Amino acid sequence: MRRGAREAERMRGLARPALRARWCRRLWALPARAAAASPSPPAGASPGSGALNPFDRRLKRKQKNWAALQAEPAKCDYLREEVGGRIADRVFDVARTFPLALDVGSGRGYIAQHLTKETVEKLIQVDIAENALKNAVESEIPTVRVVADEEFLPFKEDTFDLVVSSLSLHWVNDLPKAFKEIHQVLKPDGVFIGAMFGGDTLYELRCSLQLAELEREGGFSPHVSPFTAVADLGHLLARAGFNTLTVDTDEIQVNYPGLFEVMEDLQGMGESNCSWNRKPLLHRETMLAAAAIYQEMYGNGDGSVPATFQIYYMIGWKYHESQAKPAQRGSATVSFGDLAKIEGLLKRGKK
Amino acid sequence: MSGRGVWLRARARLRRFPAALAACGDQAAAYGRCVAAAAAGPAELRRDTCLEEFQALRECFARAVRRIKLGWEGLGGC
Repeated sequence: MRRGAREAERMRGLARPALRARWCRRLWALPARAAAASPSPPAGASPGSGALNPFDRRLKRKQKNWAALQAEPAKCDYLREEVGGRIADRVFDVARTFPLALDVGSGRGYIAQHLTKETVEKLIQVDIAENALKNAVESEIPTVRVVADEEFLPFKEDTFDLVVSSLSLHWVNDLPKAFKEIHQVLKPDGVFIGAMFGGDTLYELRCSLQLAELEREGGFSPHVSPFTAVADLGHLLARAGFNTLTVDTDEIQVNYPGLFEVMEDLQGMGESNCSWNRKPLLHRETMLAAAAIYQEMYGNGDGSVPATFQIYYMIGWKYHESQAKPAQRGSATVSFGDLAKIEGLLKRGKK
Repeated sequence: MSGRGVWLRARARLRRFPAALAACGDQAAAYGRCVAAAAAGPAELRRDTCLEEFQALRECFARAVRRIKLGWEGLGGC
């Protein structure tokens, strides 16, 4: 136990990027680029080209390990538990029993606690942070936990009937590759149900920091990582080979006392910034200015400030002959012009 | 500048910030209004556009932090 505590202290020291003695190069980003950034590759890029590498995965792993070793890991889990519950609802909506399911980027396991043995018979949970898996929440489904990266799933093709992923794909470097891997490990007629943070997430935090840095320092660098847009998400899923796509969006607003509490909770969730181009230092004066701007521009009447989390839920199926296909051209039996007489046509059809 | 002691001390200092900011509500609101007006206006937001408001906020904040620190030390350390 003592060894574990010392390891935890060491990790905490490593996982605080703002205080490392690194190059303190300031990055002056152009407003248009930073504000409208989106991580999806341009349409012409070849699949799996590895052209994008915005995130430091080793740092993300350290941050998640640190977050999982906090004194009260459940304190900052409210968002993940809520989204995990909503994903479980969608799994129940699919009226099937899944013999083998995979949870990609499971963290401490927020989906499994809502699922039953009748829906999912066996579950494999995958995450890059081993401490999160060690402190996982108990669930009635027999579970196997594997430490692996979301982009390099160590499973054979056609293994799983169901793949779920809740709020972990936004830190993946090569999202098309991750979707292809998920598509590959799914059995034909298998389904992928995922949730990701969307474009409007934490826009208040992003704008406050941007304006504060502009006013205090004369330029700014991105502090909130860029999120995928909903149209890009649809294209990525289609390119990975998924059929019958459904993408819907949801907004969760959480109220906090102020900017510092927002940042503290984000750190507790393991959602600290790990982009390669992040600024290693955030000045106290800039933080103070950003807190004042956040309170004034976005504050609620009662003194609290809202933080918006926009979640995209996506459902995609792997092709199987039994799935409904679009009808052949020229096989129509009625014309659209007869829509007014639809009642008569239905009665004729029943006869 | 690396080392666990520095990190723990910086975090302890950071924990005083929300309380100190709550004590400077007026100055913070004035600064926020100035920046919001400048950002919404025709000209770009430039460095030190709202310098006076920020200096007032910073002085109030420094006083509040000192008060909190003395209060905590009076109670037996933080």
